[in-house]
Amino acid sequence: MMNLPALVHSLRCSLLRIESRLLQISGLDTQLAPALAVNGPSLLPQTEQDPQQDEEQSPELTPGLLDSILWMAAPKKRRTIEINRTRRRDERKFPKVKKNIETCPECGHLKQSHILCGFCYAKICKETSMIRQQIKEMEGGPLRAPTVETVVLYEGETPSEQEGGKRIVERSRKRPAWFRN
Amino acid sequence: MFLSAVLGPLATLNPNKLQVLGGASQQLSCLHTSISLDDKHWEKNNRKVYPPQLPEEPRRPAEVYHSRRQIKYSKDKMWYLAKMIKGMSIDEAIAQLEFNDKKGAKVMREVLLEAQEMAVKNHNVEYKSNLYVAESFSGKGQYLKRIRYHGRGMFGIMDKVYCHYFVKLVEGVPPKPEERTGFDQAKEYVQGLKNRTIIHSL
Repeated sequence: MMNLPALVHSLRCSLLRIESRLLQISGLDTQLAPALAVNGPSLLPQTEQDPQQDEEQSPELTPGLLDSILWMAAPKKRRTIEINRTRRRDERKFPKVKKNIETCPECGHLKQSHILCGFCYAKICKETSMIRQQIKEMEGGPLRAPTVETVVLYEGETPSEQEGGKRIVERSRKRPAWFRN
Repeated sequence: MFLSAVLGPLATLNPNKLQVLGGASQQLSCLHTSISLDDKHWEKNNRKVYPPQLPEEPRRPAEVYHSRRQIKYSKDKMWYLAKMIKGMSIDEAIAQLEFNDKKGAKVMREVLLEAQEMAVKNHNVEYKSNLYVAESFSGKGQYLKRIRYHGRGMFGIMDKVYCHYFVKLVEGVPPKPEERTGFDQAKEYVQGLKNRTIIHSL
């Protein structure tokens, strides 16, 4: 990790040199003057730029093919801390205080007015997953659901006359208070 | 001998650090007798011991200081939530944080619940709902540095941000922020202008 900045710096310098050489060869480089009035690209190796110049100038200043100043948007001035603060502490940036929080009458946990109570929903999900597990065991494989309705019965319950033709899923526990038949 | 008799009960209360406030025995304050170096400044506020109150003084409300360090979240993002709950009663603050979708809200809610439990257990608070958030703010934690690779062999140093969160709960009803209307502010401004005099005049 110690040598990394030096390594990357040397890599950057070598890349810049490669780029300048390519520019010279391609003839798009218009920095050096005067040039001979000869047709065709000048393949003669010009005197290399000072290696010191490369180190002093940051890569952003030397105009590459795509980095011309006229082309890219850039900030003109540094944004002061006062301007930054007024933007960051604006009213709309603050999270809004919710006024629709109330307590669930069933379990006493907090809930939002228009949303189901999280605790109650989790408890129902648990029981539903147990029922589904039971059904999976009964069916024994995919795509074997019967074409009749299903009814869930808990301990000590017998099917009534209405539930004559339905599939019975038995759960070996007491009927939960919230699951009325 | 007299001094030891006076400080005896206080020493039993707080064996680790004798910090007697009240101007009488200044030379004995901040006696480091504890070996724990991982206690930071905010948590040390919990160990402050006040001298016993006189009977005619109003009852000093209980204060609880709590914090969590090195939370994997930005201090600027945490600040918004901290600003939201500042001044709320603890129940209100916990309710608001429960239904906030931000990552810091979950952490903050845990911190508040811990602080509430601490207050009831260790700081002689009778009712756990009788607390309000007096101070709440976030601070910068220790960052980890990583490399972010750009094009053309360029790189940037990426900071993996961490933050601390500090909260102070005080027993009692939350104080109502005084509402200053524009008219009041204007009146004060005009009064300030009227109070101007010429100095060094006859």
